[in-house]
Amino acid sequence: MNFLRRVFGLTPPPAEDDGISITQDADHAGLPEEPVIEPGDNASLPGVDNGDREGASRADDDTDPLLEENLSKMLGTRPLPRLEPPPRLPGQRLTFGQFSDVGMVRGNNQDAILALLASSASIDGMPDFGLFIVADGMGGHHDGEKAASITTRIVAQHVMSEILGAMLDQRMDDPDRPAITEVLREAFQQANRAVATQIPEGGTTASLVTIIGDLAYIAHVGDSRVYQITDTGIEQITRDHSLVQRLIELDQLTPEEAADHPQRNVLYRAIGQNETLDVDAITRRMPPRSRLLLCSDGLWNLVPEETIREISAAHSDPQDVCEKLVELANERGGPDNISVIVVQVPG
Amino acid sequence: MIDTQRFTGRIPEQPGGDNTLQVGSVLQNRYRITGVVGVGGMGSVYQARDLRFPNVVRHVAVKEMLNPATDQGVREMTLRTFEREADMLASLSHPAIPGIYDYFPSKTRAYLVMEFINGRDLDAMVNQAAGRLPVDLVQQWALELCDVLGYLHHQKPEPIIFRDVKPSNIMIDQHGRLRLVDFGIAKIFQQGQKGTMIGTEGYSAPEQYRGEASPASDVYGIGATLHHLLTGQDPRLEAPFTFAERPIREVNPDVSPEFEAIIMKALSFEIEDRYPDAAAMHEALERITQPSGGGVAFPVSFGVARDEMDAWSDAEQQGVVALWKFECEDEVRSSPVVHQGVVYVGAYDNNLYAINAADGSFKWKYPAADGVTSSAVVAADENLVLFGSLDHLLYAVDTRVGHLSWTVSTQGPVQSSPTIAHGHVFFGSDDGHLYAVRLSSGRVQWKWFAGAPIRCRPLVTGEMIVVGMESGDVAGVDLSGQMVWRFKAKRAVTSSPIEHDGLVYFGSMDWHVYALDIVHGWKVWAFRTNKPVVSSPALGDDKLFIGSVDGSLYALDLSSGKERWSFKTGGQITSSPAYENNAVYFGGIDTNVYSVDAKSGRLRWSFKTGGPVPSSPALHDGVLYIGSMDHCVYALKA
Repeated sequence: MNFLRRVFGLTPPPAEDDGISITQDADHAGLPEEPVIEPGDNASLPGVDNGDREGASRADDDTDPLLEENLSKMLGTRPLPRLEPPPRLPGQRLTFGQFSDVGMVRGNNQDAILALLASSASIDGMPDFGLFIVADGMGGHHDGEKAASITTRIVAQHVMSEILGAMLDQRMDDPDRPAITEVLREAFQQANRAVATQIPEGGTTASLVTIIGDLAYIAHVGDSRVYQITDTGIEQITRDHSLVQRLIELDQLTPEEAADHPQRNVLYRAIGQNETLDVDAITRRMPPRSRLLLCSDGLWNLVPEETIREISAAHSDPQDVCEKLVELANERGGPDNISVIVVQVPG
Repeated sequence: MIDTQRFTGRIPEQPGGDNTLQVGSVLQNRYRITGVVGVGGMGSVYQARDLRFPNVVRHVAVKEMLNPATDQGVREMTLRTFEREADMLASLSHPAIPGIYDYFPSKTRAYLVMEFINGRDLDAMVNQAAGRLPVDLVQQWALELCDVLGYLHHQKPEPIIFRDVKPSNIMIDQHGRLRLVDFGIAKIFQQGQKGTMIGTEGYSAPEQYRGEASPASDVYGIGATLHHLLTGQDPRLEAPFTFAERPIREVNPDVSPEFEAIIMKALSFEIEDRYPDAAAMHEALERITQPSGGGVAFPVSFGVARDEMDAWSDAEQQGVVALWKFECEDEVRSSPVVHQGVVYVGAYDNNLYAINAADGSFKWKYPAADGVTSSAVVAADENLVLFGSLDHLLYAVDTRVGHLSWTVSTQGPVQSSPTIAHGHVFFGSDDGHLYAVRLSSGRVQWKWFAGAPIRCRPLVTGEMIVVGMESGDVAGVDLSGQMVWRFKAKRAVTSSPIEHDGLVYFGSMDWHVYALDIVHGWKVWAFRTNKPVVSSPALGDDKLFIGSVDGSLYALDLSSGKERWSFKTGGQITSSPAYENNAVYFGGIDTNVYSVDAKSGRLRWSFKTGGPVPSSPALHDGVLYIGSMDHCVYALKA
């Protein structure tokens, strides 16, 4: 698990690494020792605190770095590149902000959000785990908020047991495990069945981001959205399951026409609507310093993408971004519930 | 989001439930209500008995329409419009249109009395049939439906547009005849409602959501209805306008390609791509229904089938010709590699050949002691071409003169194709080891014991090496030769992994294509084909392309693993595809080399060789190089 330790800037314990040499010069016994291609430890890298445990520097123990370099030149070889950890400062971890607001018009908040972060430092090198959900319920008689809350609970319960639980149990590499995207799909299916039986008149959207290391797994049904915000721009990475979105994709409607279309709120896919549910599940690698933003339509109906990006760029704390965005949506009338989660990738 | 409608499969509740007439009520001293047939937002439909015929039971349908306007002027205007519509309906005469008997308004509503149809609507029938209505029957209904709608579309001075063609508005009466019910008369009222769109989600044409309707909109409705009847897939439960993505014959192979083509043409998004009206569609249907008297040609005047055929015939006419071909002394199963105007390819005749890319002329060959089944790789800086042989050796041959520079000896056949990275060559052997060898000296830097033969080409990134094994294991090994993770597929992984954006992709003999998190080896998605996967994936256009022994080339979405399209060949596919400029190229065991459009999965061209093609293409400067088991290497214009 060297690699993982390097990724997380951890020092490998001496015992494990001792004597594991990279140079198993099977066919050339007796020849001078080849330069070791094992990358050095992190001690020489700026910004990485390796602590006092220098047991990792076996390369230096075995070979003189200068000799290594000279040998390389003599032999005309290029040593394999050093395995450098991502440029991440110690202690820097995933962070997030969240805010859900009833808005200015509605009497109740039918949105539900859930955020969870597990972060560890140990020789197991377990990657950061994050779980973020926005659900926007629909239906009268409190059915909407019930559908949204049931969905966040059931989805989170399943994902935590099947992914975080499996990570803690170290059985993520069990060959019979379902793929991670399948776990997310199944979590949505369970929520779908629960809403269909418990809240037959209710339904909900659901957008989920699960983070494992530097990969984001996104599952999505309905018209809540997930955006990826980088230094250079903002990109909507979920696709609205709405009638108007579908018409836009087919060039049958312009975005302008869609904005005040009488059926702009008609979804063709939502949790609790049909027996079968088709769940979008995709994977994205998150560049360092990027952000993921999850929100209900109460935000994106009122605050355009570019404004979201500007507000994100103007605030370093993800919590400030959430609060500013909700504030802006409320300033613009806040006709619907507004929910925002911002996930900040370190870097 | 309380205002979001839930439109699927629900009848809107009647405004004010006590508005419904009670059974036993009598209208106009003549129509005694005997039952409620349906309840809608704008009124109800009743079954009633006509009391003017006391000695026989004569049933009629009474359609009630509420006039919700409170303003006196609006109310009268609505009523007049409604009367005009009733007059128009009464003047129609077609066996599939119910007869209109009577019309009378009251204060808050209007009534239309018409023929009571004893039968069942198609929505109920398709639900009960669980999606498999006899194709002949559906084709007959299609003719009748197009006939009656064609009649409406040809009314003068203006065509009548039904606007709401769907199974629940079509009945089959007790004589088996198709009848059109629920004429859009109530919609006159609905149009007055602000913001309400006409048409039912699922069956309506795209333009109807812009408030436009034409006879071609009804044609779309006919297409949507027939698609539902033949596939059993309720469009109200599917993403809107996805008929084209759900080909009828995939679900119901009994449907003829000609019938499917007509339906798909009717379902075109663009109005001008559809039949202009139902009569034109009727004509097309008649042509395929007519008993072929021997002289009736295969209908080619419409739709998808036509395009497919054009693509085929175009390719044939264009006649993709080989720029050159080079004959080896035995089968060519390995894949060529092109470098600085030279094609390097190994053959079963033990040789590695260097061929001039421009004209296919022989440059040199280097003999191994046994067959060369893996593909070569060129180390440009070192002027080396490297390849493994069944004779247990990895050879490094000088590209300039074709002389041996060095070899690496292993304990088993080398069927793995080598990878060059970081000044080293990485390859696997049937002896169960992964080797890292210095290019400059040919010295083994390290070898890692995998425990099973390695036959794939190792993937080497900046931080990690990923190899598959014949045991089905896939390992992530760091650059110093230590294993970081291990993933277990159920069968051998001969397919060579590739990496993109933190995920590693490969196929397995266990029939699956896998995507793993390259850092941890955790399974991100898996896609199941119908046979083993030996082919290695290629990436392009946000898709992954891979062949399967089941005979299909699959295009999968990179981030979700969902199938975007598949292309069926006449035999297994073990060749690995190559992607360039929106086209995918690969060989088939059916002896063809294929080029397929990466977006649509449609054939661009195919080229027939003299034997199966397990070799994978190399693309260079618009030319495709590929080997065949007919002993030849071909250069084709890509």
